[in-house]
Amino acid sequence: MDTEKKKILLVDDDVDLLEQSKVQIEAKGYSVVTAENSNEGWEKFKTEKPDAAVIDLMMEEHDSGFVLSYKIKKESYGKNIPVIVVTSAAYITGYKFDVSTGEEREWIKCDEILNKPVVIEELVQKLESYFAEKVI
Amino acid sequence: MDDSRNIKILIVDDEKGLRTGTKRLLESEGYQVECAENGTDGIKAGSSKEFDLALIDLKMPDVDGIKVMKEILKVHPDTICIIATAFASYETAIESTKYGAFSYIPKPFTPDELLHQLEQAYSRRELLLEKEKWTKEREERLLEVAFEKTRLNTIINSTSDGLLVVNKNGEAVLFNPSALKFLKLENLVVEEQIMDKLHPEIAELINKFLKNRTFEKKSYSTQIEMEPDQKLFVEATSSPVPHPDGTLAGVVVVLKDITELKKIELLKSQFVSMVSHELKAPIAAVYGYLKLFSDSTIQLTENQKQNYITRSQIRLEGLLKMVNDLLDISRMEMKTVNREIKEIDLCEIIKSISELYQLEIKKKCLQLEIKVQEGTHFLHADKDEITRLITNLLTNAIKYNRIGGKIEINVLSSNRYIVVEVKDSGIGMKPEEKAKLFTEFFRAKNESTKNIGGTGLGLSIVSRIVDSYSGKIEVESEYGNGSSFKVFLPIEIGHSA
Repeated sequence: MDTEKKKILLVDDDVDLLEQSKVQIEAKGYSVVTAENSNEGWEKFKTEKPDAAVIDLMMEEHDSGFVLSYKIKKESYGKNIPVIVVTSAAYITGYKFDVSTGEEREWIKCDEILNKPVVIEELVQKLESYFAEKVI
Repeated sequence: MDDSRNIKILIVDDEKGLRTGTKRLLESEGYQVECAENGTDGIKAGSSKEFDLALIDLKMPDVDGIKVMKEILKVHPDTICIIATAFASYETAIESTKYGAFSYIPKPFTPDELLHQLEQAYSRRELLLEKEKWTKEREERLLEVAFEKTRLNTIINSTSDGLLVVNKNGEAVLFNPSALKFLKLENLVVEEQIMDKLHPEIAELINKFLKNRTFEKKSYSTQIEMEPDQKLFVEATSSPVPHPDGTLAGVVVVLKDITELKKIELLKSQFVSMVSHELKAPIAAVYGYLKLFSDSTIQLTENQKQNYITRSQIRLEGLLKMVNDLLDISRMEMKTVNREIKEIDLCEIIKSISELYQLEIKKKCLQLEIKVQEGTHFLHADKDEITRLITNLLTNAIKYNRIGGKIEINVLSSNRYIVVEVKDSGIGMKPEEKAKLFTEFFRAKNESTKNIGGTGLGLSIVSRIVDSYSGKIEVESEYGNGSSFKVFLPIEIGHSA
């Protein structure tokens, strides 16, 4: 059994939400590192080597989250960790991303897109299933 | 005889005895009588004014009676002429009536004979006058109708709303230039089949009535985007046109340009959605912290608890400020601001504001310099609004400044304006940020603004205040190199309001 806590990288420019998510995810038995923008996220990814990344879509730019996930997924280490992008785009624009099938898969390099507000239990469940796949 | 009729009669006769005798008789009967003693005078008298009747002797030394009658009738065709003749014969009777005499009377005549003839003649005269009156009235009415019609056409053609009338067969029977413009039709001929050329939704509106073929007093309306990208929005309303017998004659469609309304509607919903989003963020943050407190599975340290309470307070303060700003904006929009326009002292206002923000200025080690040009600091305006305006500019200059930076406030006059300039040595703006500066909720988002709080409504309020005084605002800024806001306010508010 893996006694080492899994490390999750959280990137969001909403500092309150970032802090709240961090505390909740930590309570589920993970270790959490946070970043308030995509540059900091990229730096933390390189230095902390997280086991998964959860990135907000809209930060400095409308697609900052996709750009960061793309960069992570292109990296030799990054392509093997689950990257989840969270967004309230569906709530604001009505547009629903779908990365399970179709052309969006082609250009969106993350593994999962979750709508905000994110239910922490759901997020943790997703992460767990990704970790389980990797073990098999 | 009825005196009130006041019948005017001319007697033309060269026989003096007969003239005076007849005159006396007729005057006693209530006639207004004038006499002429020969043909020449008769023509003159009968032409210069209109008589109801003329009794003309046929044989006169200078001009004969027929000629006299003809000349009079040329000028006054409704004067009834009776020819009197001593040579009564069938031929003279024929001849005189042929040239326009009403009748002839043989001489000598008895008073009764004459009066009887004149009565008949006057009845004729009355009929003629009546006919004349009706003819004239009819002509006037026709003219009026024609005038009405052109006037109506002019009105229909010059109205900005489009008007299209279609008959039961779907043919265009009436339309104006605005209708052609809205329907995107180059030209159209009256009685042309139009249903296929119409936007399907408009055709549908017309068909709702044409299919039923019965007259129902109701209207249908629809809004159609005639040109994409919000370029032309038209509201079409169709109503039935009845025949006088109550059956359906056709359909009238009124087309209204509602493009501007649609734009305002869109702006409104965008604003509402933006406001809701901005209000939701702080509420969600505070709610999130409360949830952490109430979650029994999470153990918070004293430090965390304290930190979350502080964060919640900050977010709620921001929320409160935003709601207050929104209320201010809505008051300005609805023009329910109670203004008190009087002479105010800008110097005094600037001093009291800068004292209020002394703590913030010291915290960032800023150097504040206020320069007022001699005699320019009096202005007619509402003190609260001007205080608000300068406060918003000064707090921005503090917030977006660097530690140890500088703020300059200059007051000077330029033409009929007082200029208040607030200049900082802060982080400045990128051109694309400058362009969105006065938009509600816009806040420059980059590395250097990360920790600066605000509602994104401050400058929007500034620009609304400046607008309401018919002033203007100029912004100069270079990214990384400070910004300068120049507000121009008319010295005499009365001149511009």
